[in-house]
Amino acid sequence: MTETTQTAEATRPNRFSLRSILNNAGIGLALLAIILFFSIFTEHFLTANNITNILTQITINLILAVGMTFVILIGGIDLSVGSVMAFAAVVAGKAITMPGMGDAELIILAIVAGMLAGVVCGLFNGVVSAYWALPSFIITLGMLNIARGAALHISDAQTIYSFPFAFEEFGSAMVYGIPIVFLVALALVVVAWFILNFTVFGRLIYGIGNNEEAVRLAGHPVFWYKVGAFTICGLCAGIAAIVYMARLNIASPIAGIAFELNAIAAVIIGGTSLSGGRGSVIGTLLGAFIIGVLANGLILIGLNDFMRQMITGVVIIIAVILDYYRAKYASK
Amino acid sequence: MKFLKLAAAAATGIALLSSTALADDKPVVGLVMKSLANEFFQNMMEGAKEHEKSRGDYVLKAVGMQNETDFESQINAVDTFITQGVDAIVIAPADSRAMVRPLKKAMEAGIVVVNFDVSLDEEAKKQQGVELAFVGPDNRGGAKLAGDALGMKLGEGGKVVIIEGNPGADNATQRRLGFEDSVAEYKLDLLDSRTAHWETEEANTVFSNMLTANPDVQGVMAANDSMAIGVVKALESAGRDDILVVGFDNIPAVGPMIEDGRMLATVDQFGTDMAANAIDLALEVVAGGPALEGWVKTPIELVTGE
Repeated sequence: MTETTQTAEATRPNRFSLRSILNNAGIGLALLAIILFFSIFTEHFLTANNITNILTQITINLILAVGMTFVILIGGIDLSVGSVMAFAAVVAGKAITMPGMGDAELIILAIVAGMLAGVVCGLFNGVVSAYWALPSFIITLGMLNIARGAALHISDAQTIYSFPFAFEEFGSAMVYGIPIVFLVALALVVVAWFILNFTVFGRLIYGIGNNEEAVRLAGHPVFWYKVGAFTICGLCAGIAAIVYMARLNIASPIAGIAFELNAIAAVIIGGTSLSGGRGSVIGTLLGAFIIGVLANGLILIGLNDFMRQMITGVVIIIAVILDYYRAKYASK
Repeated sequence: MKFLKLAAAAATGIALLSSTALADDKPVVGLVMKSLANEFFQNMMEGAKEHEKSRGDYVLKAVGMQNETDFESQINAVDTFITQGVDAIVIAPADSRAMVRPLKKAMEAGIVVVNFDVSLDEEAKKQQGVELAFVGPDNRGGAKLAGDALGMKLGEGGKVVIIEGNPGADNATQRRLGFEDSVAEYKLDLLDSRTAHWETEEANTVFSNMLTANPDVQGVMAANDSMAIGVVKALESAGRDDILVVGFDNIPAVGPMIEDGRMLATVDQFGTDMAANAIDLALEVVAGGPALEGWVKTPIELVTGE
């Protein structure tokens, strides 16, 4: 990195620059190529039903990845989101199956409880890793176990089921063939894009990833910005939990195992740098699409499970190599 | 992850050692379970604890794992039990090959070993010169019960897919083989067979995609109920009520689905009693009964809405 002398203000992402457009265009082109490939070689890929399926299938990963983008942009990582999602689901599941309340109250209570559970975990991750300047890798690895253990403990390892009808409906409802849960995820992308590009908080998220010391010297409360990034990530895990419950009509304490890996993969494939400071939530959206389209298309094409896993791995590595060249040209 | 496992193993060891002294002549049974994150094993563990209370003539020491494939901590638990000199070890092996050697060590130390839930690998037993009976359900036979229920409904040529458990897990393999037995017997047309790692969300995604690729599918055989739930949700969102689903395990969450016909059948292997029954058998041998031989089959039952 050669930007050590930059101030926080100067690290503001130049959102309409040719380079940033080209960055996302590259990922977009890769996605288009994959889509084209499956359209030609499979019969059912470009059907309305299959597109609906893909949108449903990428929703949870996309929501987790939006939160993850904030954490990775400040140069952190959150390994706990899969477990936090399960914890939030179990908390919300307990809330929504409480006796003696109307359906509407139960649904609101569950949504609030699930999001709150996510926020608490994210807040913990942020406060502990920022206050003691500890690697978020380790702190969130701890949270991965805390949240999973808590989810299993609260639920006694049992799957929670039987939710109000209206809540179950929400999970499979559509607008013009687009799943409502996907629109929720898309709304989150738009909100995140706005925050990252048009607010002081967002600009300083990039700033911290580029040069934390400069942001600190400029008098900004770096601690709270970092806590903010992790809290947003936790909140997203909570929202993902609600979507999971609405879609599958259960709350399972073993939900979301290894989901953090797919979320991180979506962010990285989307061109956000693992060392922070560079990337965009639009890239994350495209990254989530690439993972989802691959998972879908490779099944349609009839490739076996093990080959499918290998190809997903290869795509992640190619994305990181491409990122290396992007960074190289960007710093010229 | 290595240090986590070590920490877990150390914690297990301390927990075991600290509770040694209280045995007053009652035989001590060491129970080695699989992942307690799985409600099937969690219920089994509860069943065993209640069994200890109601029998009252033995002391139970139970150890669970962090996840399904964590056989390293199982090996550590067996070693600890050998050191403590328990009278019997009752174990649901996380790996049917890797657990043979440590159990051989236990048997050589004069401990009665009972293998339940998943059978140790025959080859590996032969190699190590171990003779050990197996107490457990016939996963393959159970899966065939569910598969047959589906085959009977669909008739010859019925188009089916299989949703498998974790690749490499013994019970996943047995259940897949059982489903394939049904496919052969009823001359079904097996369109595709894929893993969803026992998990609801993954089964939902994987099956949705299989359905897109094979819209003419008529029946689904899921290797456990968690995955069957994901399949049922996929069918609901696709608006298909013409496809039959069978599962395995009879967890409470599928009760309503069996009742209203969204699922055709599941299989109950009475998991809650399984560890308790194995402990009973172990205690008989400890009390001087004859050694167990071959395969002591535990009950399985087809559950349908009819």
